[in-house]
Amino acid sequence: MHFIARLALAVVIGLAAHPAAAADKPSLTIYTYDGFAGEYGPGPGLKAGFEAQCGCTVNFVGTDSSIGALRRVQLEGATTSADIVLGLDTSIAGEARATGLFAPHGLALTGLSLPVKWTDPEFVPFDYGYFAFVYDKTKVANPPKSFEELIAKPTTFKIAIEDPRSDTPGLGLLLWIRAAYGDKAPEIWKGLKPHIVTMARSWDDAYGLFLKGEADMALSYTTSPAYHAITDKTDKYASARFDEGHYAQIEVAGMLKSSKHQDLAKQFLGYLTSVPAQKIIPTTNWMYPVVDLGADLPAEFNALPKPAKLLSLDEKTITANKDKWIADALAAIQ
Amino acid sequence: MPTPWPRSNSQPKVLPPRPLRLLGGAVIAMAVALLVVLVLWSIASAAYGQPETAAPLPDVAHLLRMSAIQAALSTVLSLLVGTALAWSLNRLRFAGRNLVIALFASAIVTPGLIVAFGLLTVWGRSGWINAIANVLFHTSIDTPIFGLGGILAAHVILDAAFAARILLARLDAIPSTRLKTGQGLALTPAKRFATIDWPALRGTMPGLAAIIFLLAFTSFPIVLLLGGGPANQTLEVAIYSAVRLDFNLHGAVILALAQIGFCSIIILAASAFAPIPSTLGPSAGQRWADRGFAKAVQWTVLLACIIGFALPLLAVLAGGFSSNLPALFARPSFPSALATSLAIGTLSALLTLVLALGLGSARAATLRPLARIGLAAPAYAYLAVPAVVLALGFFLLVRTMGIEPATAGPAVVILGNALLSLPFAIATLGPPLEAVASGQGKLIRSLGLSGWQQFVRVEWPLLGREIGVVLALAFCFSLGDLGVISFFGTQDFSTLPLLLVRALGAYRTDDAAIVAAVMLVITVAAFTALPQFFARWSDAQA
Repeated sequence: MHFIARLALAVVIGLAAHPAAAADKPSLTIYTYDGFAGEYGPGPGLKAGFEAQCGCTVNFVGTDSSIGALRRVQLEGATTSADIVLGLDTSIAGEARATGLFAPHGLALTGLSLPVKWTDPEFVPFDYGYFAFVYDKTKVANPPKSFEELIAKPTTFKIAIEDPRSDTPGLGLLLWIRAAYGDKAPEIWKGLKPHIVTMARSWDDAYGLFLKGEADMALSYTTSPAYHAITDKTDKYASARFDEGHYAQIEVAGMLKSSKHQDLAKQFLGYLTSVPAQKIIPTTNWMYPVVDLGADLPAEFNALPKPAKLLSLDEKTITANKDKWIADALAAIQ
Repeated sequence: MPTPWPRSNSQPKVLPPRPLRLLGGAVIAMAVALLVVLVLWSIASAAYGQPETAAPLPDVAHLLRMSAIQAALSTVLSLLVGTALAWSLNRLRFAGRNLVIALFASAIVTPGLIVAFGLLTVWGRSGWINAIANVLFHTSIDTPIFGLGGILAAHVILDAAFAARILLARLDAIPSTRLKTGQGLALTPAKRFATIDWPALRGTMPGLAAIIFLLAFTSFPIVLLLGGGPANQTLEVAIYSAVRLDFNLHGAVILALAQIGFCSIIILAASAFAPIPSTLGPSAGQRWADRGFAKAVQWTVLLACIIGFALPLLAVLAGGFSSNLPALFARPSFPSALATSLAIGTLSALLTLVLALGLGSARAATLRPLARIGLAAPAYAYLAVPAVVLALGFFLLVRTMGIEPATAGPAVVILGNALLSLPFAIATLGPPLEAVASGQGKLIRSLGLSGWQQFVRVEWPLLGREIGVVLALAFCFSLGDLGVISFFGTQDFSTLPLLLVRALGAYRTDDAAIVAAVMLVITVAAFTALPQFFARWSDAQA
């Protein structure tokens, strides 16, 4: 009983001690997805870096997904304690903009190095990558070079993908196929059906299945092999280059109109696109930085193949058609 | 079927009057029912301020039908396998039996994701079975691990093992006098099962079936991982996407009500089914082994179940022994998440026990069917309330009360987890409490024991093991929780499952495997230690 009482006490004290977060300093609250905020992600490094220069406290609040972070702000409305939402991507930006919760960032954002010209008045990009299927070179000798080649493979050739409703790579695949094939997209989905070992809720599950050998390829990013090269010290993973081109995901952050720390929030968004902050991104979020880091970008990133062609869809089209496209794709593989 | 001995419940029942127990139970039942209403109301009122979304609702009838077929198959299979396993374990004695029982018992509380990955390690395309097949026969076996087959396999692992644990407790509690009579009559193994075992098991079956059905009906991570895609879905998945993805709160409320409505029918049917009280008695020492063919069948069942159930869990343990182990343990996040998980688990287990004892003893103190339904139904409702809806409702409630979610986090996670374990606690404690009331009611009355004395002198000594099981169940459920904490976790407040998800989301599959193995070790340890500890403690005071 004694042990339990002490545990109970510890929880109660922890509960009471929590709100006492440095009342003298302003604090900046950032809602993001858990992987970004967590110990493996860029969150801790960015927090330390910004706190060293802002005289403030940075509070990352992780939610289960980036869409979850947006939903939470929508739920909380004007009373939210968040100043910034970080981790949305260009596929969901239109929907986020339509909520009217985001304020213009007012930053010049010169010197960005992105696959597209950046003119967004509300969202600031902080990293990007290209969706791609990742495979194990020791197991797959002839990776498909297009969706059509993938479909033509024997049905024992399996892919693990993510659900477009729950995960941004899943949505990315949907838009990728749409951008490449337009109205023929449902036919591509129908062709993929026998190859889909599972449509997982999250990237974690799909990629986990692939690493376990349950699938020959998983939908991920062209930058995923850099993780294995740098951390695992193995070069056996590669991404399959598709002739149709690849769809880019640009991750963005935006400040909220309701924030009581507008200047601080703007300052953070500026810091996010600075060289010191961008240096943290590649080896923690495993994506490309949005500024040219020169020699500071690990060589493994430079060794990655760049897509032959870049595919994109404009925001209005995505926002207007997303639900229908998802329904079509799901119906095709049902 | 005539039985050779008088049945305790064939006499008119005389229960000692227990107004305080009834009052306490009624208060708890009303409080937990009120919470369900509040949770739904807070989501509905948030939906009211929201513009109608264009996102179409999925076909509810289709989802209900698909979920029900899958859940019914899971239930039948789990009960069949569970009964066979309990029967075998009751008869056989071997070294490591307690560990095997604990391992089976822990399956129910093992996070679905861990079981699914364990299953894949053994049965998957690159799994152990196929590795052996490749060496021996130079060919792979195409195991139907994705789709309905995979879902059923994972559910049977989780639920049949749980059923076996509950049923085994009932078989072990059969008084030795009955066994002696049976032995004297030289009953065949089949006849013995029909006349001695089945009456002891029958009372537990409706509640158990309802729980397994609802678990399978609302299954979420397993269906998503092993279902293979949108062809195999549950209503719970649709609710998740309405809440978290489409932000369609109207739709979420409608779907949640459909799920709660459907599940309530199952719950009411099960709780109206007057359970036949099983008799209680010390199980120590007495045994009567079967021989010949029956024994061979029992060994076969046991070995098949060990291969089928324990191997996937052993695979998880094996996966945890990697070279990253010291590095992970040295990270500050690990001990802190471990301590938080243990503290939350302990507190929510104690809360579950208090609530379950309150409800269970009130239910055992009355014979009126309506009161009995009223006392049990609210607790069982938490099998039907989707975890994501519960978490969202709590989140909105806490904010309405003007409390920061981060501040309320620990308290809400403890409460939420306790409520989600409550149905299991009631199913475990209910039948033995009823057995005490109906079996010893006359004695308690004639001795004039008060409610407290009844608990200390009669129930506690007899229920020690069940109390330990309830604590272990609730502790482990809370240990594996991801649903509630996903709304309330912060960088300073994280648990082992959150750590696991973070590792998985950052390519760290090795670290995730270690956390999974640690969680499994704690789960098995809790299941081995707690029931035994409480059984001994209560015996010592008897």
